[in-house]
Amino acid sequence: MSLKKFSELFVDLDSSNSTNNKIEVLKNYFFSNDPIDNSWAIYLLTGKSNKRFISGRYLKNLFSQIYEYPVWLIDTCYLKVGDSAEVITLLLKNKSTSRKKELSNISLNELLSKTIPDLSKLNEEEKNLQIKNIWERLPEDYHLIFNKILTGTFRVGVSIGLITKSISKLINIDEEIISHRLMGNFKPSIDSYEFLINKNINLEELNSKPFPFLLANTIEDKIFKNSINDFQFEWKYDGIRLQLIKRSGNISLWTRGQELVNESFPELVEKMSHIKDDFVLDGELLVWNFKEQIAFDFSLLQKRINRKSPTRSIQIKYPIIFIAYDLLEINGRDIREIKLENRRIELEKYFSKWQNKTENNISDIFKICDLIFPNDWPDALTYKEKSRENNTEGLIIKKKTSIYSSGRKKGIWWKYKVDPMQLDAVLIYAKGGSGRRAGLYTDYSFALWKDEELIKFASAYSGLTNFEIKELDKWIRKNTIEKFGPVRSLKPEMVFEISFEKIQISKRHKSGIAVRFPRITKWRKDKKINDADSLENAYELMKKI
Amino acid sequence: MRTKQEYLIRYKDGNLYCELADIWIDPSKPVKKALITHAHFDHFTFGCEEYISTKETAILLKERVGDNIKIKTFEYGEEFKINGINISFHPSGHILGSSQIRFMFAEEKWLISGDFKLQKDETCKQYEIVKTDYLISECTFGLPIFKWDESNKIANDISKWITNSPEKTSLLFCYSLGKAQRLLNEINNTNFKGKIYSHGSIHKMNNSYRELGIDIKNTIKIENKKKIDELKGSLILLPPSLSKGTYLKNFKNIQTAFASGWMSIRALRKRSGYDKGFAISDHADWDGILEVVKKSEAKNVFFHHGDSEAISKYLVEKESINVLFFGK
Repeated sequence: MSLKKFSELFVDLDSSNSTNNKIEVLKNYFFSNDPIDNSWAIYLLTGKSNKRFISGRYLKNLFSQIYEYPVWLIDTCYLKVGDSAEVITLLLKNKSTSRKKELSNISLNELLSKTIPDLSKLNEEEKNLQIKNIWERLPEDYHLIFNKILTGTFRVGVSIGLITKSISKLINIDEEIISHRLMGNFKPSIDSYEFLINKNINLEELNSKPFPFLLANTIEDKIFKNSINDFQFEWKYDGIRLQLIKRSGNISLWTRGQELVNESFPELVEKMSHIKDDFVLDGELLVWNFKEQIAFDFSLLQKRINRKSPTRSIQIKYPIIFIAYDLLEINGRDIREIKLENRRIELEKYFSKWQNKTENNISDIFKICDLIFPNDWPDALTYKEKSRENNTEGLIIKKKTSIYSSGRKKGIWWKYKVDPMQLDAVLIYAKGGSGRRAGLYTDYSFALWKDEELIKFASAYSGLTNFEIKELDKWIRKNTIEKFGPVRSLKPEMVFEISFEKIQISKRHKSGIAVRFPRITKWRKDKKINDADSLENAYELMKKI
Repeated sequence: MRTKQEYLIRYKDGNLYCELADIWIDPSKPVKKALITHAHFDHFTFGCEEYISTKETAILLKERVGDNIKIKTFEYGEEFKINGINISFHPSGHILGSSQIRFMFAEEKWLISGDFKLQKDETCKQYEIVKTDYLISECTFGLPIFKWDESNKIANDISKWITNSPEKTSLLFCYSLGKAQRLLNEINNTNFKGKIYSHGSIHKMNNSYRELGIDIKNTIKIENKKKIDELKGSLILLPPSLSKGTYLKNFKNIQTAFASGWMSIRALRKRSGYDKGFAISDHADWDGILEVVKKSEAKNVFFHHGDSEAISKYLVEKESINVLFFGK
């Protein structure tokens, strides 16, 4: 089976907006290809690894050198295309002098397990020559895939959910099971694919894998028609969602992004190993303010995430806690199918047992989430409004009768987030977007008043409709003061409502403040720049919380 | 070196203008005398006292806007004089009737490329190489990322696209004048043997082409109420203006595509909202523009329509061509 098939798959997936179509296309692909290529295809499509073998810049320079193209011209093309791998692919068209396409039958496996990894064994000169060789010997239709894998930018609009569905259809096994098998590390191999499509449902190998996470949907009004007693209320913490697994005595911490993070949080692994039972817990990892019993800001957690084997002093400086929401498995018994309210009873029961019977004190690193008991929906709203005081993002509302299925199932769990903070700000810079937004000015910077001066305070690129983006793009082109590379400074004229989740002091920014998740929520065409907010207003917001 | 005002042709109020002949080229506002390179609406405006074009362009224009305009026509290559300036139309290969316009005055030759392409297109006259001193060229696709495939390859892709989804109705969006007829002509040579429908605006142009002696495959004019089963597996050509809005609700189980040079870029393809894009254009690609610059033997080149910066810089650096700027 060849790269050709995968290349065709890519084109098919890329030129369809229909989910059913994509599932059908994937199913047929898996059906007609061998296990090893299938495992690589899954690996690539799910973005399990986006290892960058060489940078986009390197690729551009290499092309420039081989084909004597000025680098500035390639850069100009990039502004239009938004992806180095694609620019080079387009430029490579009709460039090859070699008639023979010796690589037309190369398999996906050979390309990914040998040809590309082998590049890193070569010195620069050999590597450049080899890439040129591949370009010339590979049929043009495959150049895009090759260049994208090379630069670690292979992406196509396929979610894990679609892969799950197509495999489930292919072998006629429940999606939940496929989804479970796909969790954790997926290493491309014949074995991993055969494991995935095994008709035998109770597979030992699943022991090393977390369950598919159940996710909450954004709140819908219709929920308020239900009785408040049908629901369980929890705070929505802003940490890392984690499954804490202890099976046969082995502990593993899996993030929602399916990364194993044991090494970053050794103190948690150590403490939990003292518990006698086996279990799977769903919960949140936070850096915890033990004095006030609230979470510290997410930025402190960031100092722990990417640090493997943290020193003792780091562990003390940024003390972590695991807050369990849910118990999914206990001593080998999968309890996801029982109702949430009953799982909660089990969770509380085991927690108190562990607290009392474990030699080591575990409560300095592990607790179960407190429940909230609003009297009615307006009361729930009051709780939600209070969430900023305890550094949470709002509420999570769970149907008491819900079973723990996977994905973003409708009508089971909701997130009820606190209303964002907002400021009206002036658009002062714009930058060309990349990828899908290439060729348009889509990355914006906004400013607030400080006396007579506009000071940049946030950048945002989401929130406008495609139509608005096009309209604004036109305006930007007509109202540019200066160009600095891809950035344009603009005539201060347009006012936008910017919403964000958090605001804090920052010495790194000229404005002195930093905001989290800024996004555009309204184009305030009704406002003049003098109506925009000042930094003073931003400081006021900070005082309020 | 002459000042801008001394060029035979220059930009005035955003339009190309020849002062000595007091004549405008494709003006965007009403003027006394207008030379029209071709019958696309972005090259035509109402209200001019007199239009001058090729015979085909005149017929197509009248078909589109009515008989109420005064057009004088000339054959390709036929020279006519205005205020002592010799002017002639030459095929530009863009659409039926499209032309380059050459001006000659006191031994000096100027050539306005009009919209042009070099690719094969059986629905219009092949681009003619015209030698000139000054060239004013369009550069809509003036970046090296634009390289067109042979149009029969694109037509085969379209044919495959339709036949691979026999249960669907395939809607192909394209410009009503020129592109649609070229596609029909190319698709006729593919394996696709299903029914082809076209929107009224396209249907009308097909008829005009036929009257002008171009062999265009017969298509069925699409009526508002068609049974879904009847349309299954068939191709429908529609103008891009109908791609957004309620018109599409007339159909069920569709797949959509847009035929345009811009579709060669993935980001634009994705953003366009069509399922698929076919990169086929009636404008020259990068190599096409460079070839015309070279073969015209022009010593001075101006660019307009498009991002002219890159191609200008490239020609100056690599080919030592003198690229001039009008200033607007």
